[in-house]
Amino acid sequence: MKLLPPTLRARTRYLAIEVISQDPVRREDVIRELFSSAGSLLGDVGSSECALRLLAYEDSKGVVRCSHDRTGNVRAVLASITEVKGTKVIIHVLGVSGTVMGATKKYLAGVDVFNPKEQSHINE
Amino acid sequence: MADPGYYDLNVRCTQESGNTIGEIIAVARRLGYSGIAITNPDNTKQIVPSASFDGFEIISGVEIRTDNASKLHGIVNKYRDRVDIVVVSGGSESINRAAVENPGVDLLVNFNIAQENGFNQVLAKAASENRVAISFDLGDLIHLRGGSRVQALTNCRKNLQLVRKYDVPFHLSSNARSWFDLRAPREIASLAALFGMSAEEAVAGLTTIPHSIVIRNRPPVGYINEGVQLVYKDADAGSMNEEDC
Repeated sequence: MKLLPPTLRARTRYLAIEVISQDPVRREDVIRELFSSAGSLLGDVGSSECALRLLAYEDSKGVVRCSHDRTGNVRAVLASITEVKGTKVIIHVLGVSGTVMGATKKYLAGVDVFNPKEQSHINE
Repeated sequence: MADPGYYDLNVRCTQESGNTIGEIIAVARRLGYSGIAITNPDNTKQIVPSASFDGFEIISGVEIRTDNASKLHGIVNKYRDRVDIVVVSGGSESINRAAVENPGVDLLVNFNIAQENGFNQVLAKAASENRVAISFDLGDLIHLRGGSRVQALTNCRKNLQLVRKYDVPFHLSSNARSWFDLRAPREIASLAALFGMSAEEAVAGLTTIPHSIVIRNRPPVGYINEGVQLVYKDADAGSMNEEDC
């Protein structure tokens, strides 16, 4: 099959995210919650326009792919996720990039898994 | 502009929620806030004093909840000198009205969860005159689903129209009951964009407006008495004094 010429390819953005929670959550559950939240907030039409997809997810960090002009809506979708399979979570967008490599290198590489319990003693 | 930083003026940290102040600070800091106001309900009697942890500000506050509009002024006066941020949890129109007509109130929250919108042009005018900020409660947009979220969005849209027309100060808050409810400022701004708020307005609602509320309630550096203030010649003496405060 011939490749699509670059001008016809869908333009995308990649959001580097981290999941802040007390217990680790599984990738499949994050995906399910992502699509249910998008369906609830934007509806079927809005979700399809976003072209959402969760790429790599490991150690509470991941990359979400979306359409280049829908990053605002995708942020709102991620913000309205409150729990993943019973575990309360915050999904925090660390940054947005035009390539997977950019998102991974710039925002995810070297970032430690954040755990509020461990961090809290520093402030007390 | 990073100067005023991002603030959330309506975060609760009661003992019942099971969170410690340290956890809330750690999460808020990670999300990119430079200060939060801990506004526990007045009946819990858990007022957290203002403090600063290398660059991160904790602002003392109280959230007043009452059903009796005539008692509201008394309660506001009681807390006005003790905390930096006085928040009134609205509800019925009489409470909302009493709150926006009292210049001692800083922020009115929770006034549009009810089915009908508790905010109108009369309240908007009063809020603008008395510089009482109204809060867009984005916690509702995060936690509600279905019909009630539709209602909340509709109310926010209407309120935004009034805010623009009458130049009412406003604040975007996650109304966090625990650290799980906090959201990063950029995410808050994109939730606000869902009901038509522009990015510039959202940034103002998270930075300059809350910052100005905090500053107006704090005595300036070197404050001694009404109209009496120490003026320092060099910056060093001023910064030493700040640490004492």
